[in-house]
Amino acid sequence: MSAVPGLKEDCEELLGAFQQADTVRFERFAELWRERRFHTIFYGRIRALERNKLTKATLELAQKYFLPPYSFQIRVGALYLLYGLYNAQLCQPKQKIRIALKDWLEIQKFQQDLLCSQHYDAAYIFSRLRLARAFHFTAMPKLLTYRTKKKIEENYFKEEFKDPSNRINSLITNDVLEELMNIHGHYQKMKCVISANKSQPDKALSLIKDDFVVNLKDITLEHQEWQQNRMKLFQNTEVTDETENKKKEEALLESEGSERANALARIKYRSYYAVAEASKSRRHRQVQLESSEARSSCGKSPSQSKKTSRRPQPARRRDGMQVAKETVTRHIGMPIITEENSDE
Amino acid sequence: SIDMLMSSEKEEDPDVIPEDSSLLTLRIRKKGLERREETIIVDRACRQETLAYEMESHAIGKRPDNLTDLIEEGELLLTLNIFYPVIFQKHKDHKPYQTVLVLGSQKLTELRDSISCVSDLQIGGEFSSQPDQAPEHISKDLYKSAFFYFEGIFYNDKRYPECRDLSRTIIEWSESHDRGYENLQSVKMEDYVFNDLSLKIGFPYLYCHQGNCEHIIIITDIRLIHHDDCLDRNLYPLLIKKHWLCTRKCFVCKMYTARWVTNRDSLAPVDPCFFCDVCFRMLHYDAEGKKLGEFLAYPYVDPGIFN
Repeated sequence: MSAVPGLKEDCEELLGAFQQADTVRFERFAELWRERRFHTIFYGRIRALERNKLTKATLELAQKYFLPPYSFQIRVGALYLLYGLYNAQLCQPKQKIRIALKDWLEIQKFQQDLLCSQHYDAAYIFSRLRLARAFHFTAMPKLLTYRTKKKIEENYFKEEFKDPSNRINSLITNDVLEELMNIHGHYQKMKCVISANKSQPDKALSLIKDDFVVNLKDITLEHQEWQQNRMKLFQNTEVTDETENKKKEEALLESEGSERANALARIKYRSYYAVAEASKSRRHRQVQLESSEARSSCGKSPSQSKKTSRRPQPARRRDGMQVAKETVTRHIGMPIITEENSDE
Repeated sequence: SIDMLMSSEKEEDPDVIPEDSSLLTLRIRKKGLERREETIIVDRACRQETLAYEMESHAIGKRPDNLTDLIEEGELLLTLNIFYPVIFQKHKDHKPYQTVLVLGSQKLTELRDSISCVSDLQIGGEFSSQPDQAPEHISKDLYKSAFFYFEGIFYNDKRYPECRDLSRTIIEWSESHDRGYENLQSVKMEDYVFNDLSLKIGFPYLYCHQGNCEHIIIITDIRLIHHDDCLDRNLYPLLIKKHWLCTRKCFVCKMYTARWVTNRDSLAPVDPCFFCDVCFRMLHYDAEGKKLGEFLAYPYVDPGIFN
């Protein structure tokens, strides 16, 4: 569908504001919506045919934010946005929201999550949409058109909305690490067996670093932290441009939000952060789960740590703006992997 | 109460864009509107736009009188784009097409019957000596064969004894050497409904009739039937979009659509020359119906005849 000029920016602005509000309550979203008078987005003297096309394109754009890989809060925001746009549209009969078959499973999971984490207002909005028959269940997400486009639109995701892509973590998961440990253990044993001294392998047989698995796990963790810090840096640079009023407003909201957040369930997107747990043989060096990105709605994540010492938290909004200003000047580069001497 | 959070309190005119809007979309739209106001004298829908909108929405929400014709829940709705065979040079960038909605439980033959192509109405033969006998046999009645090609299978129309298997030539050709086309089959069109087919969305398929008139068919969408759709089975396959083609008008009166074309006409200024029925007879035949001058005349069906 042809793009509506300016719409993407407006939606992203609204969703960004919602993300920064750090809550998933519908009242908050409705306030943001009313502030911007978003329902006027369909105004202007548009004739019927054009209006149909425009509404379809609008709903399609908003629907994209409703699906993965966007973060939980953005998805809830997109749900509210869809609800708002669907009701605010001027077409008669109303244009519908397209959901593809492959996405329907995701959306059902999402709804389950909402119910489990007791975000009843979001679940209610979703069931209202379903009751109003707002969905077209289609085979493919995008309705095809056959006009040669003047330029190919690039489908880029706004960085801040996405959960940090954890390709490294999806590659080096718990299972992989445990297997590596096992294989490593076996390998060491084999070396011991065939060498002269039964208790330790021959010096000639030591071809790899003994604790490379542990190093690998550490490096992965460092990378994850670095990524999180980078995300926070992005977000905090935006924050420093805001005015005093917004600060106060959010401080108020946070006290409210944090109450609810604390009363609600834990983070369900644990799956996005594969905790690199050391295998059972090294339980004493178990890893701590850093709290998830500051924009989570469900409040603090439980740290799975035997040791309770936390690494210093990256600057969080709760500490106020001063910390944010500091982080701007700090330069975060890629962590450097130091070469170790090989142990025998 | 949730709803009230969305809409505004006071009465608003949706045609007026509010002045102080913070939305980029509206600002851009406003500029466009202002530009339109400056450059366009009369700002209303032209007849093509009215037609397009009508076609899109005329069947929405319709319910049948007879309840047995009601479409059930769970029915699939396919959207097909059927392209016109190339006729004009100006169409080479955007090939014109018509869009048809088809139910999953409908037979392929129903779709075949609903496709209206100008080549079906052609009348072959030279009729300068007997102009009154012209519209006797249109090609649709004479050459009834047709086939669809989906995913390696040719679906031939075999309802009438005159229908021939047009796909046989293709199958024989592909089997004669190892050309890399595997397993082309030929079956009867009337035995299949759309639900039986396996289809790719966006992939071009073929509809061929009259022996050599080929249309590309592309399926753009498959979805479940919805409460707001037209639920009258008799109205499907439903045409919702058609390309508007300008018709050729008579050379003489410039008012009526051309029905005759002449070649090597001593009475006409150009070759070929188009005439409407009245002007054609007035120019080429005298009061008794005798042929005047030398010419060859063929009945002409304009592609825009379906407007």
